Amino acid sequence: MDLSIVIPLYNEEESVDALYQEVTTAAEALDREYELILVDDGSRDATRAKLRVLCARDPRIKGIFFRRNYGQTAAIQAGFDQARGRVVITLDGDLQNDPQDFGLLLRHLDEGYDVVCGWRKDRKDSFSRRLPSIVANRLISALTGTPIHDNGCTLKAYRGDIVRRARLYAEMHRFLAPMMSLSGARYKEVVVNHRARQFGTSKYGFSRIWKVFLDLLTIKMLLGFTTRPAVWFGLLSLPFLVGTIFAFAISVYRHLTLLPHMQYSLVFPTITILFVFAAAHLIVLGVFAELVVKVGDFRQAETILATVDDPGESHHEQNIAQHA
Amino acid sequence: MSRTLHSTLDVSVIVPIVERYGNLQQLHHEFAAELTRLGQKSEFIFVVDDSQRGALPVLRELQKREGERISIVQLNGSFGESAALMLGLERARGEKIMTLAAYFQVEPRGIGPALAALDEGADLVAGRRFPRIDSFFNRVQSRLFHWFVRRLTSTDFHDISCGFKVMRRRVARELHLYGGQHRFIPILAMNRGFTVREVQLPQRSEDRPARFLGAGAYLGRLLDILTIFFLVKFTRTPLRFFGLLGLFLFGSGFVIDLIVATQKIVWNLEISDRPLLLLGVLLMVLGVQTLSLGLLGEMIIFTHARNVRDYRVAEVIRGSRGETVSEIPTGRQPVPPLEISPAAEEREPGPALQVS
Repeated sequence: MDLSIVIPLYNEEESVDALYQEVTTAAEALDREYELILVDDGSRDATRAKLRVLCARDPRIKGIFFRRNYGQTAAIQAGFDQARGRVVITLDGDLQNDPQDFGLLLRHLDEGYDVVCGWRKDRKDSFSRRLPSIVANRLISALTGTPIHDNGCTLKAYRGDIVRRARLYAEMHRFLAPMMSLSGARYKEVVVNHRARQFGTSKYGFSRIWKVFLDLLTIKMLLGFTTRPAVWFGLLSLPFLVGTIFAFAISVYRHLTLLPHMQYSLVFPTITILFVFAAAHLIVLGVFAELVVKVGDFRQAETILATVDDPGESHHEQNIAQHA
Repeated sequence: MSRTLHSTLDVSVIVPIVERYGNLQQLHHEFAAELTRLGQKSEFIFVVDDSQRGALPVLRELQKREGERISIVQLNGSFGESAALMLGLERARGEKIMTLAAYFQVEPRGIGPALAALDEGADLVAGRRFPRIDSFFNRVQSRLFHWFVRRLTSTDFHDISCGFKVMRRRVARELHLYGGQHRFIPILAMNRGFTVREVQLPQRSEDRPARFLGAGAYLGRLLDILTIFFLVKFTRTPLRFFGLLGLFLFGSGFVIDLIVATQKIVWNLEISDRPLLLLGVLLMVLGVQTLSLGLLGEMIIFTHARNVRDYRVAEVIRGSRGETVSEIPTGRQPVPPLEISPAAEEREPGPALQVS
């Protein structure tokens, strides 16, 4: 299988048929063997029924139906789990992405990139829809150090073996590319076509910003902390250790310079105690975290992408873990 | 156990006898009669907690009369209602499974509508005693309890503590109850993506007396609600919960200390005898502790559940002839959804159990 096309769908009854037409037309033009993975994320409208009809018609389709709405990340992960292609393309089910861009993405992927992200430079959405997205993208770029303009664009192409290693949860689809880049994937951004929404309504709003922030914090910390928990927790406790020294010094100084008629204030000794508590708590947690990671099934090598020169492989990328 | 009973069984009724019990003979008689009237072949499984041994003679007698339609599971210890239910579910052989309180809560004539709801496509039907005829006190505490539950889990149930529930086998298979979770079965099922419906059932007059629980029990309930809230909303993302809380605490502490420090610098206000400074430091410390615990939680999920899937697939259809491959995503092992304590089932005492 050359190509898997993964499309998450949630309440897209008006778009499904047109989407199918466009995607198949575009995919056929590529002249590659492909499969179409349509994931219904617990739609409450006719999407399910329409998908069933399509499934009964086209053997290249694989329909996955969720029990309830689990969100786009889960839908994409489900698609990834089913994808058998050497290359995997994801796109939105709302017709805003243009399947004609497939060729463009694949060309760049063949240049030797692991992930090619679509960039909706000329976005056809209202400002109120774009603003949270701009803020979120800035945040993601700043915190992960990957200057991607448009993390929210679902239209992306991936090398298949990366996809099969992806473990997405929560709402991680938004920083899939930064995450992959942190584990060594080479990414490229290409400007893709973006069309105004014809049917239905957008499923996002501003409320997601704080989630983006916390999720980012999580990923950032996870990537560092999981490999060396004791060290990172130790670093976290450092400010408190320094604080302890200062607070203690101040307490002693005040005690020594106390004049007979003044009352000694306990504020600084108490602060000393609090800081000691906090530092000890963090150091103990760090040791505990080492334990947690040790008994878990985390393999750092599995998260690392590396280039292995293997003349026998036409596709020169290999997972280091397979060789280890 | 005869094959014939197994193959013709429609409903398994599980009656956990844990906290108290009523007239079990009559309970069985009325519900069994109603099930027969509805054309449902049924079996009754009584799970008797060690503290309720008094119920055994009556049950033995019942078993003598009814034969294999009655099973008695006797626990040699007090393990709580969740454990009792799990042991009952293990033995249930019917395609539909009904749970029942060990005393009269609802009228048997409620079974009909409940089973009908199941046939209409629900995976689990939760009974709601309505209209309620019991004591004012019961109603107030139930209202309060459910108000909390609805708020925290964003569901819309009115009487999850009603013992009457009917579910399909596939729901029962995915329930892994422990601790105080038996009260939250509808919410847990819903969280797993099952269709859950609430059906109104006439309340029995025997359910009327006011029930006062000890202060400890009320605190326990409250903690149960918080646990469920956490399980349902933040199992996969503990840092979202703890992180937000921690950042808030840290932030407020930081602001307080900033104000104190500014006052010191600008107006040279004495800093050492100000409890406000202490409060700020305390909040910051608390914030960091909360945050770091959330981080640890996140690490546990990340390193222990990396292969666990977030979603539940109803079915996978492969194109062309439309062959339906139900329930199991192809190519991979069906992965159970995340359990906070997967060992919970194994922890149930094997030898401390007698089945007759």
